[in-house]
Amino acid sequence: MSVGTTMAHVHAESIPTPRPARRRRARWPVAYVAPAVIALGVTFGYSFVEVVRYSFYAGSLGALTYVGGANYTAIFQDPQFTHSLLDNLKLLITVPVITLLALGVALVINTGLRGWRAYRAIIFLPYILPATAMGLAFSYLLQGGGVLDSLLRDAGMSFLIHDWLGSPSWVLFSIGGVIVWQQLGFGVVVFSAALLNVPAEIIEAARLDGAGWWRIQVSVMVPYIKRIIEFFVILEAIAALSSVFTYVYVLTGAGPAYSSSVMEFYIYQNGFENGAIGVASAAAVVLLAIASALIAIFLWVRTRASKDRA
Amino acid sequence: MQYEARSAPRRTARSRRHSLRGRVATGLLAGALVAGTASITPFVAGAAGASTTARAAAGYSGKITYWFWGESDIPGITKWMQQRIAIYEKLHPKVSVDLVPQSNTTIISSFKLAAQSKTGPTIDTQWATLDTLVPAFSGDVAPLNGLVPKSEMSHWINTNENTYKGQVMAMPLYLIGVPLVWNKALFKKAGLNPNKGPATWSQFLSDAKALKAHGITPLGMGNQDGYFGAWMFAIYMKQELNSLSQVTKGIANQGNAQSIFESKLKSLYTMMQALVKDGYVNSNVSSLSLNQGWQLFPEKKAAMSFTTDGNVLSWAKAVGEANIGVGRPPIWGTGSLASTYDVTQSSDEFITSWAPNKQLDANFLAWLHTPSNMAALNKETDAFPADNRFPVSSITDPLARQLYKLDTTGKSIWLENYLPPQVDSDADIPAGQMILSNSGSPAKAVALWTTQLNLWRTEQPTQFQQFKTWAASS
Repeated sequence: MSVGTTMAHVHAESIPTPRPARRRRARWPVAYVAPAVIALGVTFGYSFVEVVRYSFYAGSLGALTYVGGANYTAIFQDPQFTHSLLDNLKLLITVPVITLLALGVALVINTGLRGWRAYRAIIFLPYILPATAMGLAFSYLLQGGGVLDSLLRDAGMSFLIHDWLGSPSWVLFSIGGVIVWQQLGFGVVVFSAALLNVPAEIIEAARLDGAGWWRIQVSVMVPYIKRIIEFFVILEAIAALSSVFTYVYVLTGAGPAYSSSVMEFYIYQNGFENGAIGVASAAAVVLLAIASALIAIFLWVRTRASKDRA
Repeated sequence: MQYEARSAPRRTARSRRHSLRGRVATGLLAGALVAGTASITPFVAGAAGASTTARAAAGYSGKITYWFWGESDIPGITKWMQQRIAIYEKLHPKVSVDLVPQSNTTIISSFKLAAQSKTGPTIDTQWATLDTLVPAFSGDVAPLNGLVPKSEMSHWINTNENTYKGQVMAMPLYLIGVPLVWNKALFKKAGLNPNKGPATWSQFLSDAKALKAHGITPLGMGNQDGYFGAWMFAIYMKQELNSLSQVTKGIANQGNAQSIFESKLKSLYTMMQALVKDGYVNSNVSSLSLNQGWQLFPEKKAAMSFTTDGNVLSWAKAVGEANIGVGRPPIWGTGSLASTYDVTQSSDEFITSWAPNKQLDANFLAWLHTPSNMAALNKETDAFPADNRFPVSSITDPLARQLYKLDTTGKSIWLENYLPPQVDSDADIPAGQMILSNSGSPAKAVALWTTQLNLWRTEQPTQFQQFKTWAASS
């Protein structure tokens, strides 16, 4: 209970009122949050309203024509848009992969492995690499006849050789792999920090009850950081939907033939390269709706789980 | 020389030649420029058409903000421009020029944003023809007529591509030709005549077959960025046409022009598909950018390539000038335009409609075309200036002379420039990627064009109408 709430509570109890059940809330806390609300309103609220408004217009800024819902019809007729949408959904597969890998590594590091801080730093390193450097490195690694293919050939595994970035069948796997490689470190750091907070007495109690290492991890450690895992999953899911532009832009430019296009790239291409602000806005609204729906589902599941536990 | 609508093999690059000789020559030219100021200044002042001293003075006082692009086409051009600016600011102490280099990825988007707020550059670079004319349709470009005298503009090569409603919208700086280049040593190794490149498509296929049989990759290109496919459209779709209006009317959907256009597209993509299936293009073409794919030629990993004049001259150093053969791209199509060449001004410079002192900008642009500046451009970059005052005698290298002759003989067209930018990026590029990555049939690639053309017409109604007007008048 906050100080403000406590004060209001006290005030309500000391003065008899005809309706004691309805306590008047103090208004001064509103003044504290007002600047933040106004800032958010201007930066996000105004932008949101403008994006929705533009989505009903065709043409470029300065030469806009009202077209009603035609942009929404148009984007769903555009194979690049549907491809982009599907690609974003396919990239959601990276979320459980990153989560499980990061959790596994964090659990191992948490066992007090010698030099665990160094390992954690090494694993975290890709996360802070600049996107351009990463793109350049992976384009040489993954291009047809590139470093990876040469290694596979030298290892006698020529049957595995592919044009990893140039083949529409493989390009999304390649991008997904790079996402996992870069995001893994973030997950490991988050989970490691959470695991450090697990009280030693709980672990000790489990051990006294005869639980082995595996049992302790599965039945004590993981459940204890469940909330953090949930938070991480939703964060990564939102990232897979709306923060994968960089990977696509630097690795493939959405090609070949849109086969690695994602929603963000579609919005960028239409809004900034083509100047089709209405189409870009309509796509942005659809992306926002999907991300919001995912968050709503997550919150609903979480609330229901809390109620079940209660 | 006859030029009919040339356009741009855009976003190209090559290794720059850092010759000491070039630097020394540039220094000498810089000195010559300062010495020649007296003759230049009155001419440009006259170009302003200013009848009063005050107006003339206004043309030499103020700030120019120049959003410039060209380095990936012509390595060294930014340095050349910086040198010109330094000289110009010395000549006109009341003028300051703020040069803002642009990249391939910002050249269009940055200008679009600037145009929305009518702030930013007073002079801007865009790729030639529709990339320049689309902003002109929207009134973001100030015509050069009235700011630069016709007598001066008459020396500029290829202005017709940037002409709208009878007015020249932009100034060209350089020319880029796109020849077929072959490695004579590899040709010899495959039992071919090293001194005779393929002139027809059947000869090209025959040579490719022989090269492949000897374990040599016939054609080395890159299409990760989609530009090789776009180049094939520019070079070979054109060869199927009898006139440019077959493309512009097809895009404008006039009569049955679109179905004719689409049938020719299908032929083009069938030819490209065969190239891939026969293994005549490097197998990793889809994961190499155009620049990366080009490197296969100087590395002697591919026997042929379509490239730029500048690359040819640069590669001559890697494989030896005696080992380089150049010629027109082999003839594949049967249209009247099949015999035209593929040279272009590539990018151009224009004054924005919101520039506060347009005469100031125009004077600077016109000054860049003075013969000494154009000669310095050639010395610094090896590029051929887009100015008919450039003396051919100054080109001493035999290979460069051969390229210049190709560039300046007969008609030239770069077809990609006649596509609206959105159609180029959403249809031309991905359709080529689809074929070259072997992920779709020619029919599917044509269907993509149809969809994207319809979407463009719906999403850009004003631009579509302006395009139709321009297509009908040009």
